[in-house]
Formats: sequence, C-alpha cells, structure tokens
Amino acid sequence: MSERFFISETDLRGLTADLLDGGTEVIAPVATDICQSPSAVAATACTLDGSKVEIDYRQLTSADDLDLSRGLPQLSLKEFFLPEHEPLCRWRQKGTTVQVFEVPTEFAPRVVLAAKPCDAAALAVVDKVMNWDYEDELWNGRRAATTVINLACQVIDDSCFCTAVGAAPDDVKGADGLLTPVEGGYVYEPATDKGRALVEDFAARFSADVPADTIGGQADDERAAARARVADNLEIDADSVRDWIEANFEDPLLTHLAMRCNGCGACTGVCPTCHCFDIVDEQEGVGHGTRRRLWDTCQAPTFTLHASGHNPRDTQHVRYRQRINHKFSIYPLRFGEVLCTGCGRCTRVCHAGQDLVEILEAIDIAARRPRDAEPAEAAS
Amino acid sequence: MTGPAIAPAYAGVDELRRVARELLESGEVRVIIGWEDARRGARPVFITDPAEADKLIFDTRCVHNLVTYLDPRRDHVSELGRIGLVVKGCDAKAVAGLLRESQLSRDHVVLIGMRCGGVLEEGELPEPLALTPENVAPRCYGCDNREPTLTDHLLGEPQPEPPRPVMTIDERVAALDDLPLEERWAFWTEQFSKCVRCYACRQVCPLCICERCIVEKTQPLWIESAAHPRGNFSWNLTRAIHLAGRCVDCGECERFCPVGIPLSLLNRKLQQIVHDRYGYTASDDPENAAPIGDYRLDDQQEFIK
Amino acid sequence: MNIYHPLLTTVTEMVDETPDTRTLRLEFQDDAVREGFDFKAGQFGEYSVFGAGESTFCIASSPTREGYIECSFKAIGKVTTALREVNLGDTVGFRGPYGNWFPVDEWKGKDVVFIAGGIGLAPVRCVIWNVLDRRDEFGDVTIVYGARSVEDLVYKRELEEWASRSDVKTVTTVDPGGETKDWSGEIGYVTPVVEKTAPKADNAVAVVCGPPVVVKLTLPVLDKLGFADDAVYTTLENRMKCGLGKCGRCNIGPVYVCKDGPVFTAAQMKKLPPEF
Repeated sequence: MSERFFISETDLRGLTADLLDGGTEVIAPVATDICQSPSAVAATACTLDGSKVEIDYRQLTSADDLDLSRGLPQLSLKEFFLPEHEPLCRWRQKGTTVQVFEVPTEFAPRVVLAAKPCDAAALAVVDKVMNWDYEDELWNGRRAATTVINLACQVIDDSCFCTAVGAAPDDVKGADGLLTPVEGGYVYEPATDKGRALVEDFAARFSADVPADTIGGQADDERAAARARVADNLEIDADSVRDWIEANFEDPLLTHLAMRCNGCGACTGVCPTCHCFDIVDEQEGVGHGTRRRLWDTCQAPTFTLHASGHNPRDTQHVRYRQRINHKFSIYPLRFGEVLCTGCGRCTRVCHAGQDLVEILEAIDIAARRPRDAEPAEAAS
Repeated sequence: MTGPAIAPAYAGVDELRRVARELLESGEVRVIIGWEDARRGARPVFITDPAEADKLIFDTRCVHNLVTYLDPRRDHVSELGRIGLVVKGCDAKAVAGLLRESQLSRDHVVLIGMRCGGVLEEGELPEPLALTPENVAPRCYGCDNREPTLTDHLLGEPQPEPPRPVMTIDERVAALDDLPLEERWAFWTEQFSKCVRCYACRQVCPLCICERCIVEKTQPLWIESAAHPRGNFSWNLTRAIHLAGRCVDCGECERFCPVGIPLSLLNRKLQQIVHDRYGYTASDDPENAAPIGDYRLDDQQEFIK
Repeated sequence: MNIYHPLLTTVTEMVDETPDTRTLRLEFQDDAVREGFDFKAGQFGEYSVFGAGESTFCIASSPTREGYIECSFKAIGKVTTALREVNLGDTVGFRGPYGNWFPVDEWKGKDVVFIAGGIGLAPVRCVIWNVLDRRDEFGDVTIVYGARSVEDLVYKRELEEWASRSDVKTVTTVDPGGETKDWSGEIGYVTPVVEKTAPKADNAVAVVCGPPVVVKLTLPVLDKLGFADDAVYTTLENRMKCGLGKCGRCNIGPVYVCKDGPVFTAAQMKKLPPEF
C-alpha cells in the first residue's frame, strides 16, 4: 500500500493559502453564480433563481474560493494544458525582412487541487499523441510545471462511465496524488515525486497517522462504492469495441448514430481528451502578428474540407463516426489507450440527445455478438 | 419535500402516434421527426418504421426545436425523403422563416402541429414536470402561437397560458438596458470570454442556414477563429445581427451553449428594435414579409444621412 | 524552439508553369540550416506567408540538389493566393520535412515508370530528378505525363529536357481538344496513353500521382499490365495542419497521412477505409 497521510479540512484550506502566499498558482473547482457580473441588477437579469451555479476549474485568488463538494466542472482541465488559443510564434516584418520570435516553453510551477480523476487521466492519455515522435514542448512544458492532485469522486451521476474505459473515480493516472474525503478531512496518497514534494514542503499540514480501522478503511470503502456506482452505468470490452469498429467501418450501426447530431462541436469542446487543433495566422497590425493554434472540432463541416472543394467527410453521419472511430478504435490502435476517460460531459452537454453510454453499449453488444447472428439494431 | 408535480402529457399524443403511423404507412412521408423518451429524458427521434410511431411523446419536456433538421445542409436527413415534422407554435414560426426565404419547399415537409401550453427550460428529465415560474422556459411567456396555424394536421387540445416566469426575457433585457454603458459592456465581455467557439448556437439555430457561414470565410477573413475576446465579440454580435428580424425566439442557441451564455437576451433586444422600427415580429405566416428582404416606401430611414 | 516554429527561406526563383500554377525556389536564410537541410523525395512541408497562414505541399525539388527547396502550387485558397503574390527576395516560412518518402534505394536495378496528371507531376518531379541524378542505379525510366491542355502542362522546360534524353522514355499527352496546332505529343487521357505505352511490369515499379480520377483509373491498368500492388506507389494528399501527427485532421481511418504517408503503395491504399 502506498504511503498515506491525513490532512484536515482546515489544513487543506491552509495549504492552499500557503501555496498562494508563496506565489504558486492554484487551480481548483470553483462554484460561481451563473452570471458573473458585479452588478446586482445585471445578476438578476440573467439568473432565474439565485441558486444557479456553474462549476469551473479556475485560478484561485483566495483559499476561500475552494469548493470541493461539487460535481464535475463544466469544462475539463484541458484548457490549462492545451489552451483554447495559444501563440506558437510571433513575427515582425519590415520590407522583405521577417523576424520570428519564439514563445516560452517553460512555465511557472502551479498546482491543480481537487482535479476530477477523469480529467487527470485524460492528460496521461493525450501525453501519448503529444509525444509521438515529435515532442510538443508547449504541452510538455505545462505538464512538467503542474502538480495535479486528484480528489476521489463523490458526486457521480448516470452519465459517468470512467471504469468502462480504463479510468476510475479514485484513479491517479495522469496525476501526482489523490485526496479521498473522510471524516474531518482527507486521506492523501502521493503517487509521484511531485506528489511527495507537497508533503515534504508543507509537512506541518499533513499527519502520517491514518489508522486503517477508521479513516483508512473509510477511504477504501468510499472509493470501492464509487467504483461500483460507475461500473453500474456501463461495462464494455474496450478491445472488442476497438476491433469491431475497425472491421465494420461502414456498418449502419456506425453510420446511423448521428441522425439527431447537430454537428455543433459542444462535445469536443467539453471533452478532456479531444485535442484536435487548427493553426492560423493573425495579423495584429502593420508588419506584425501571431501564429496561433486553437481548438478545432472534427464535427465541423469544414474540418476536412480541401481547398479544391472536395470533402472526405461531407455529412454529419461520417463526421460523427470519425469521433467514435478516433476515440475508441484509432487511438487505441496507435497508442494503446482509449481516447476517452468516461467523464460523461459529451452526453450531458448534448442537448440533441446523443448519449455515449447508449452508443457504446450498442457497439459493445454488436462486438460481442457471434458472427453469424442478426446485425445489430441501429441506435437511432 | 415538495417539488413541482409530475405533469401528464399534453393532450393529443395518441392522435399524434396515429397520424405518424398513417403518414409512414401510406408513404406520404419517409421519416417522422418528433420527440421520444430516452435514457436521459426527452430528445429528438427519427422514425422510419410505422411500428415505432408509439415512441412519440408530447409533454412539457419537448423543448427541442426540430426545425433545425430541415436545414438544407443536413444531407443525411434530406436524403431520407419527405419529412413529417412535429411542431409547436414557436417551431412553426421557424418553418415560416425558411419558407419566406425560399430555403424550404412547402411540399417537402408535412407539418404536424401540437397545441401547446409551454415547455420546461430543459427537457432532460425522467418525467415531465408541471410548469412553475421557476422551471418554465422564459420564452414561453406571452406566446402568441399556442395553436400553430402553419400546419397540415393540428392536434391536441387548447392549453392554458404558461405561467409567468420569475423574470421575463423582456424584464431581463430591460434590466441590462438600465445599466450604465460600462457595466453593460463589462457584462457582455464577461459572458463572451466564456465562449469556446463551438458554434453550437449556429448549428442548432433553425435559421442559421447559410451554405457557407461568414465565420468560415477566409478570403477575406471577416471573423477571427480564435476564442479570444476580439474573435468572440465579433462572432456573437455578427450572428445576432444576421438574425435580426429572423429569430423566432426558440431559445435553442442559449440552451445548447455549453458554457451558458445568455444569448436570448441579445436576440430579444434586436427583435425589440426590429419591432419598434418596422412593426414586424416573426410569425408563422410565411406571406408576412420580413424587413430584411422586403422594401416598403414608408420604411424609416432617418439613419441614412 | 518549439516544433511549430518555422524556418525562414528567401524566394530566389519564380516560374509560372501555367497561368494558375507557380513554382517557387526557396533558400534557407540561416547558413547552418541551408547547409544541413536534408530530406527524401516524397516528403512534404508546411510553407507559410506570415499573416496568411501555412499550406501543405510536397517538396517538389530533388534531395540530390542541395541548397534550395522548391514547391509548386495553384492559387486556390487564402494561403496559396498570398503565396502567389510573393516576390523574389520575399520571405516564406517553412516547417519540415515531414512524412515518409519514396523508397528509392529499394528500386535500384529496377525499371521505374512515372505516371502523372496535371499538377500531380509536382510530387513526382522530385523523385524523377532523384532517380535521374542517380541514373546508373536504375533500369529503364519511363515518364507518362498528361494535362488537360498544352497550357496546363507543368514543368514544361523539364519535360523538354527529359524528352531530349536518350536514357529516358518520355510520353506527354493532352486531353482531346487540348492540343495546339504544333503539338507533336500524344492526344488522349493519361490512362489510355499508359495502356498504349504498355510499360513492362517485370522487375519494375510505378509511381502514379494526379487528380483522384487519374489515379483511380490508372491503377487497374497497371494491374492488368502485371504490376503488383506493392510495386505501385502514389502520394495522397489530405487537408493537413500540423504535419506532424498531433492536430487530428489528416487521418484516413487509423492511417495518418502526415506520418504513415503521404507516400503509399497501392496495396496500402486499397486497405484504407473509404474516407478520402
């Protein structure tokens, strides 16, 4: 069993304050009123009732902002490692002379506190493509600078399915340590040197006293219960799903998943593992500008549009299929990992009713069906 | 603990299923697009088999504006053949918008109108709830089309007015208008900073149907694609202006926005301006010409100097 | 420097191959880069005009010719239109070389047949020169090239040079109706001209590139002539952005055109899902 420490509720808040006072950026889930305007009148202008909150990962300004009792933030941690838009280089042009300026690939150390395990696991999954032959210094630089401390999940709904895709509500994949809520505070288990450094640097906040028959056992029970709860939602044989998709590319089951899909790309935006990006030049004045990469989505009609006008994926059917294919077949074939950590955001955010739990279940059934049986009914 | 009561389905569901079945069996339509109950609540359904017509529902969870599926760019829908579309009054207005702009041929769609008493803000619930000021979709208040006129079949029974929401959209717009300019600017800056440029608002809007959206044009580049404040303001305001006089207030853009930007406030404000200046509000009468696309000798033009 | 940071080149030559196709010769501005730059025939790069953006083209010159790289393009979109407006002495950005390459070393001792249509000659030109610059190492060399009209033929000077060589068989054709009065080449679409030329398949490899329809119709002809699927090479293009396997745009099923391609054998192509 890995080392365990106890940190009280007060000390965790104190640790946060210590980090902030020391100038370290702390990112954590924060609950905000749905309308952030400072004006009280404007606030009522957009809330129906004052209790509507959004949960987001945000840079904390004070330890008081820390709110660890909530569910999943609406956007994942992705934006802190692959920002929605980031400069790749800048240029200055005078006559025919062009100077191109580098952008920093080293970043100030920072801590993510109470990350959801599905979001942290996603970082480890995307690490693979970001280091495929060419090492992406911007991604790697941010990864190196960040200590990610997970908080074992307590708020689980029926769109979560992390356990079906190799993650778990108490996993440390992609993270440096795990906090598990227990009576009075949290059990903390470091998973890497960075995770251990937190205990060393702030030793006064932690206690090594974690009796197995009380808080230790509590932590274990909580986590087992969470895992069971998620497993209840969906169980698939990811390898069979991977192989079935590759072998049945044109099966109606895959081409008819998207009747109600609007191609809006909300799913790819909120997804922790979707990483497709565009590169554009932005002229920012006479003779200077920035080349940026920005989030893109395979669901957009123009994603694969050639300048000639030819589009290999010209209907929403095949664009949606690409998403399923990339996540559950292509990425596993190339990198040995499912490009999905079961956070369920795509299902929750899709107001057209596309449901990944339902879709994966249908593909899993088809994949496990003996070869000579009836074709699967399309999940329409 | 009490909460809103479970509401029964609206009247007309049995008729709806019967009409849908008959339309499919006779071949008059090749697909019925309506709402069904699924694992996470109500959602659009595409029915091609008459035996599945019983999947159709109509209750307070049927929020989705299904007219978005008539977008001519949605090949995977249009290639199925003639569509039987279930519409509420607000949805019928969007159909009228498409007809008005010659984006749809009337004989391509059979419209099944449902008499409606309002819908919830969000349909992803296991049961339909009775409407209360807290849960009703604010856009339903003051609806002038609870009995749609642009239909081929009109089903159900007349329904009472939906409850008044805690704050109507007009009141919310007025509250914003009352703010000093700097605060209103700060409000929208804050809101647009959330935008991730997913274009859900555009994709789901039944009237955003341009073959090539302005944001996709690169020669010249009108709107930057990066999700920084400059690009986001440009995108959201341009889309709102392109919908002025055309928006039917279905609220889908705001509902779909994954980061919760209150787009209905923008659209309603522009709607108010169009109404004040041109005496026009989108209706479900396609013959009623919209200001953009129609010229009258008495159009106000004092702003042309 | 991060992997997306472009190198700088200067435009040292410009040739209008056809009214809408231009070739640029680019020399790296940094001495060390210019001297050390190496690539293999078939690889591509991301060429950019600062302010307009990046565009993907194969490196159209041969790696046997050091000190410069070339690209050929049609002005269709934003970046290619900006590239068209670039002048001698202007700066063009470059990232690369990316992708795989024609396995020229494996062709030693074999006959090599090059077949191209229209601007498809650009990615083949680099490997034609690569082979011709090492002429002794290969058997017979045949080039079959066609375009819609005489005006649309690219690399006209080089076509003449190749035609004038006794160690190369060059067959040039234009579509029926595309010939000029003094045209002495073939008249017909590329595919029937390939059939007529009937290159021998024994101990030979073929390289085919062109508009999808040319490639699609030529592959069965080569098959009929006896070319095995793994002896026929083509280069695919797809919309690309990063060029190095991260942006998720160019894949055809599990195959990434920028990493597993752009050079593919006909055997590999036939296994690709119908998504390109």
